[in-house]
Amino acid sequence: MKHAPLPKLRPTIWDGLVAALVLVLAVGTAVLFYGNLDHGDQLTAVITHRGETVENVVLASLQEEKIIHIDGQYHLTIALHPDGVQVTQSDCPGQDCLHTGTIRRGGQSIICLPEQVVIRLEGSGGPDLVLG
Amino acid sequence: MRINTRSLTLCAVLTALALGLSTLENLFPITLVIPLPGVKLGLANIVTVFALYALGTGPAVGILLGRCLLGSIFAGNFSALLFSLLGGFSAILMMIALHHMPGLSIFGVSIGGAAAHNIGQIAAAMITLGSTAVLGYLPILLGVSLFTGALTGFVASLLFRAMRHIHFQTGDTSYG
Amino acid sequence: MKRFSCMLLALVTILLLTACGSQQKLQTHQIFAMDTVMDFAVYGGDSQGFFTAATQEINRLEALLSRTKAESDISRINGGGTVTVSEETAELLQEALYYAQLTDGAFDMTVAPLVNAWGIHTEAPRVLTQDEIASLLPLVGSEHLHLDGTTVSLDEGCSIDLGGIAKGYASVRLAQLFEVYGIQGGWVSLGGNVYTYGTRDGKAPWLVSIRDPSSPAGAAVMVGLSNQFAVTSGGYQRYFTAEDGTVYQHILDPKTGAPAQSDLLSVTIICPDGTMADAYSTALYVMGAQGAADFWRSHSSNFDMILITADGQLLYTPGLENSLTLEEGGRYEARPLT
Repeated sequence: MKHAPLPKLRPTIWDGLVAALVLVLAVGTAVLFYGNLDHGDQLTAVITHRGETVENVVLASLQEEKIIHIDGQYHLTIALHPDGVQVTQSDCPGQDCLHTGTIRRGGQSIICLPEQVVIRLEGSGGPDLVLG
Repeated sequence: MRINTRSLTLCAVLTALALGLSTLENLFPITLVIPLPGVKLGLANIVTVFALYALGTGPAVGILLGRCLLGSIFAGNFSALLFSLLGGFSAILMMIALHHMPGLSIFGVSIGGAAAHNIGQIAAAMITLGSTAVLGYLPILLGVSLFTGALTGFVASLLFRAMRHIHFQTGDTSYG
Repeated sequence: MKRFSCMLLALVTILLLTACGSQQKLQTHQIFAMDTVMDFAVYGGDSQGFFTAATQEINRLEALLSRTKAESDISRINGGGTVTVSEETAELLQEALYYAQLTDGAFDMTVAPLVNAWGIHTEAPRVLTQDEIASLLPLVGSEHLHLDGTTVSLDEGCSIDLGGIAKGYASVRLAQLFEVYGIQGGWVSLGGNVYTYGTRDGKAPWLVSIRDPSSPAGAAVMVGLSNQFAVTSGGYQRYFTAEDGTVYQHILDPKTGAPAQSDLLSVTIICPDGTMADAYSTALYVMGAQGAADFWRSHSSNFDMILITADGQLLYTPGLENSLTLEEGGRYEARPLT
């Protein structure tokens, strides 16, 4: 029966590597498991156009107003601020998206049916869904 | 493998010691912090580390198996068997692999073993609960394993220091 | 070192795979159908199977009930003559007739000729003259629809629109899919028609924010719902402004043939039947605050409701007492109905 030599009893640099790898694994699994939960607690604007996600912006990361143009059959101008999102211009019939005004809380959304644009705020402990 | 009375006795004593340590750590339940039934710090891994180096792979696995089976019988709790088996065997497999690495000391081997122990426990929890939600505890447990691993490594190193002059070659043991 | 890194890699891979297999996270899906946007959100169980089945069911119902699809049962009825419809359509028509009778015509699917003339749901709405309204009003009324089993006919010039009930019925159909696909919790929102299933996290009910009619980006009140349907109707949801500046909202009063002159800003109905919630929300908006409160008093065991009035009151039925969370510093004065 073959034996390993008796162990080294003092920590070596390689032990540090093992510890570092365990730490990386811990952080990695933390990011994996907690990373995709609504970006933590940050309010995120998700803009979809005809089913495709066109923008995904963490509002708090905005230094200044960000303008997004959606062009299809109709043309929308969307303004994103650190504290909310608003449709500022649209040539769609109905103009519901303009009437909605500025949304500021998680769970709220602005919808433009004619152009199939949905702007939704996610995160920050808001309601699960909005009715009406 | 030739088994003589001395090595058999030594294995039995170590199994008893491991069981004692398992019982001891029940007095400091980590489940207060991490509410997962069956999760333990893994102090009994000290015995596994020691047996692995002093006696070799075969006896170490034997002691581990004995500890898991007897422990769950004593506790009268067979769901805990899955936890200790998966945890213990993940740990020992990792340590068998690691203790062949020339650069690593007993600390690195223990930390690797403790991390593997916790991964095995989480796997057992996932099987028992049928839910992957428990994965959320893995980062915390891995962080904890850095400390418990270093602790078991430290205790084992003290042990080897104290017994520097004792030769544990199975079948051909001479004291002093 | 090679063996060691291989082992770690294997571990990481296993972890990645199990993490991807995790179904506890809320999965969402969005479709555009029935002239509105529909959101589905579920966790636990076969979410993709649920989304596929829900989308198919919505498409099937739209093909059956749409007023704009030429082949639908409703379009064939509106096309004139005596037609045979599916049993499902016949049952829904029966239900619509029942609610028309129950609400004394405040909900009426035969108001369609006036809806068409006003064109509020089109790109070119216009204000009707009193003469135009007077000429169309005789076409409204349940007596113009003749339903015998699955055989249906309409009087000359009449037409029907199930818009006030179809989404509610669709929500009832989708509600049955949650169990089929082993879903633990979730909700569907079909353009203002909501069904909540189970809980948001195994404990707390789903938190539904009722839109503030005066400021549609904000919330008037939050309500916790579990295994219930909720529908909100309000003039603010769709309206147009005439050249003289008058605002015309989209809900017509079948009695006057004009947009309802309601003292309500919105009506939210909460009950265990989505079709009923849809029909009632429209009808009670038309009835106004007093009429809606009276209606609730005589049918109080069937449903709960939240009324938001033009003079700043938020009236709710006592059954909701424990599930409401009022907005801090809200603009409405909340009190229970008695």
